[in-house]
Amino acid sequence: MTNKHILLGIAVVVSGLACTRPAAGHGVQQAVPIDRQVVQAESPKAATDRGDDGKDAPTPAGTEAGQEAAKKTDDWGFRWTDHPSLRLGSGTRVDFRLRLQGDVQHSGVELTETGEDAGSSVDVARRRIGVDGEILNIFDYQVERELGDDDDPWRDVFVNYKQFNFVQFQAGKFKMPFSLDENTGATNLDFIYRSRIASLLAPGRDTGVMVHGRVLRRGALRYEAGLFSADGDNVRTNDADRVHGERTVAARVLAQPFRSTDSLASDLAFGVSFTTSELPEGVVDLRGRTELGDVFYRPEILVHGQRRRIGFEARWRPGPFSIKSEYIRLSDERLGQSVEDTDLSPFVSAGWYVSGTWAVTGEKKAGGLDSPSRPLFQGGVGAVEVAARVERIRFGSGATDPLASNAPRADVVLGNSNHVQTYGVNWYVNRWIKIQANLVRNAIAFPDQAPQPSQPVFWSRLIRFQFSM
Amino acid sequence: MKRNRVRLQVLVAAAAASATLARPAPALAQTADDLFDPNTLHEIRLTMNTRDVRDLRAKYLENTYYTADLQWRNIRVRNAGVRSRGNATRSDVKLGLRVDFNRYVTAQKFLGLKSIALKNLWQDASMMHERLAMTLFARMGHPAPRQSFCRLYINNEFQGLYAIVESVDSSFLTRNFGEDKGYLYSYQLQSVFQGEYLGEDLAAYKDRFEAQNHEKETDAMLYLPIHDWLREVNHPDDGVWRDRVEEYVDLAQFVTQVAIEVFVAENDGLLGATGMNNFFLYRAAGTKRHRFIPWDKDSSFLFFDFPIFHRADENVIFRRAFAYPDLRDLYLQVLESVARSAAEDGWLEAEVARTAEQIAATVEEDTRKQFSTDEYFEAVEAMKKFAERRSKFVLEEVAAARRRR
Repeated sequence: MTNKHILLGIAVVVSGLACTRPAAGHGVQQAVPIDRQVVQAESPKAATDRGDDGKDAPTPAGTEAGQEAAKKTDDWGFRWTDHPSLRLGSGTRVDFRLRLQGDVQHSGVELTETGEDAGSSVDVARRRIGVDGEILNIFDYQVERELGDDDDPWRDVFVNYKQFNFVQFQAGKFKMPFSLDENTGATNLDFIYRSRIASLLAPGRDTGVMVHGRVLRRGALRYEAGLFSADGDNVRTNDADRVHGERTVAARVLAQPFRSTDSLASDLAFGVSFTTSELPEGVVDLRGRTELGDVFYRPEILVHGQRRRIGFEARWRPGPFSIKSEYIRLSDERLGQSVEDTDLSPFVSAGWYVSGTWAVTGEKKAGGLDSPSRPLFQGGVGAVEVAARVERIRFGSGATDPLASNAPRADVVLGNSNHVQTYGVNWYVNRWIKIQANLVRNAIAFPDQAPQPSQPVFWSRLIRFQFSM
Repeated sequence: MKRNRVRLQVLVAAAAASATLARPAPALAQTADDLFDPNTLHEIRLTMNTRDVRDLRAKYLENTYYTADLQWRNIRVRNAGVRSRGNATRSDVKLGLRVDFNRYVTAQKFLGLKSIALKNLWQDASMMHERLAMTLFARMGHPAPRQSFCRLYINNEFQGLYAIVESVDSSFLTRNFGEDKGYLYSYQLQSVFQGEYLGEDLAAYKDRFEAQNHEKETDAMLYLPIHDWLREVNHPDDGVWRDRVEEYVDLAQFVTQVAIEVFVAENDGLLGATGMNNFFLYRAAGTKRHRFIPWDKDSSFLFFDFPIFHRADENVIFRRAFAYPDLRDLYLQVLESVARSAAEDGWLEAEVARTAEQIAATVEEDTRKQFSTDEYFEAVEAMKKFAERRSKFVLEEVAAARRRR
């Protein structure tokens, strides 16, 4: 079966659902909020989304509303609201999940050196199935698997003990508590691809244990702290000759100082996070890639010592608007790595982004657009949102000497940077379907290391069809 | 008064030393000619991470690059790339090294050079074969890499006597041919090759003629001209052979190079014991014509009565070129010229003596060399004998050959 066939299949399924299912809030099921919450809890970011989505879009796990709703479903049997669900008595259920994403991409990189034009491509980006749910109202769990990924098929596999809001315990494989963007679920992203810093510098998933919870008045302060076996799959490739962070401690604190108020500022959130891990001696396993995977930097830098990350984040979603921003700095020590066996300045990778969205159809962003009140063919056109993001990611030494080099033991590392602009439109057709279109401009600072040296600036066009339940 | 004068001298010396250490002397004051000055025994210091030195020795058969700073006189080149080099001369005891100044810094050069080889003189007990052979090439006006001797230190540890050898690269091409836009290949010895046609598959040419530039171009762009050249070399029709072959190779230049190699009794060159070996091939931009560039002459000066037609019948190109009277005359003429030049005022004998005097003490100090110091002195004596007798022998052979014609 070709990708085109799969996409066609998705379209057919989607059309059928769009025409046959009742609109949210207009049908027989009154559990839409719960289901919507469940959709948003589609991943381990569950733990993080829990706080990020705040009071307007809580996940069922760990929230009073969720627990109350779960108790109401004190029954046995099979249910279908937005997705199949098996109820096993009070506070215990198994929700079945499916997410399909198909991409149409046109890369702006012209691979003329090999005589090959990257051109357009159609790709099934995700075929993810899983189950999640809760047990006796005191445990959340999630098991998620990517079909077609034979090397690393398991995504989120974790259980969360949630009896108390102020302290919960989570164990398994899930996203580490670092970065707002990285911990936003794939179905809730404002753009087709996450920011470069989230994709390349934030740690991503790993196996570990974490304590987290909400404290202060109405949970205005959320904390997460964990111990993980390594420093995540975002900064790890299949190259066994390269090194990455080993046992990692990660922590994140997110404050919503106006959470208890009814003002526009109630959603305003600020966060800070850090990780630290041991870094064995060897060539660092980092790389700079564009959103479509074109490599613009692959350092051969030797590192040894400690890897440290620090991140700052801010988010505000007043009415139909949202703005968020992050800064991440990843620093790798290079102890004893100079040609004279002395220490070199740390190898630093850093970046930031600022993004904004506007729901032109008027929905409140904090409430989520993924379940539009007026879906297509049901009295409306769904929810439409425009978005823009500006970002920059830089790889290179913190030193400032202009005599930079690519040498593995150079003190001043000639790195590279990418200045990216993304413009997008998101169309939430109904509660299952989302269509995104992005126009992305990449500007590579040192073209010699760009995918195409003669083309430091290029535009890419991307469209994503997403079906999730 | 005297004490004051001494104090002043000390102060001046200290100030001068301080100025030297504080800032690098202007590189403009030094040139590549200074580096390859044959009258100087240079000193080169490499600074490398101790782990890299350990790895370099352990993996000396690999071409892995390591970072190093190179110091020559008061010039320090940072972040150069250093790797093990050589074929039969590779050694973990006395490392043969290649230093690429632009490996990690694209535009970085050292005295205008992108790279140099630091040859370990492993196979040559006299340690002077290559230097003298290349000097003779240059003396005859034939483009050849420049060389000088140096004492090499790695992390302040003496490594022995080395030859600093100019790389055949774009800098070399520009210096000798005035341009570097053409296609440069390094011949890689695979098996005995005497100029035979290697077939339609370009992979066979790719294996033997390693592209040194334009690497991203298609195989057809890179290797089709070499394929066509060897196809014509092996064309059965003698009537059209020369015209066709000269489209692809400068036969006069080829014959000249063979003649000089034969004079220096090179046993591993174009007419080598294992077929063609130790040469670069250069095809100027916009042409199909190739020319040869000599490389690695440590197997030369085999013995003074090395015959002038030794293996002349084995190489297809030389055999068929030699059938043309003008090319045969050229060959003999070059041999005669080289012989007379080498003998002129005892030039070659003087070079051997001067070189021996320059390196003798360092050779004795070199504990990493393959041969003993006694063997070195014996080899020097053999070189003196060669220098003394070779010209006379060659001139007699040339005369005999002319008589036979």
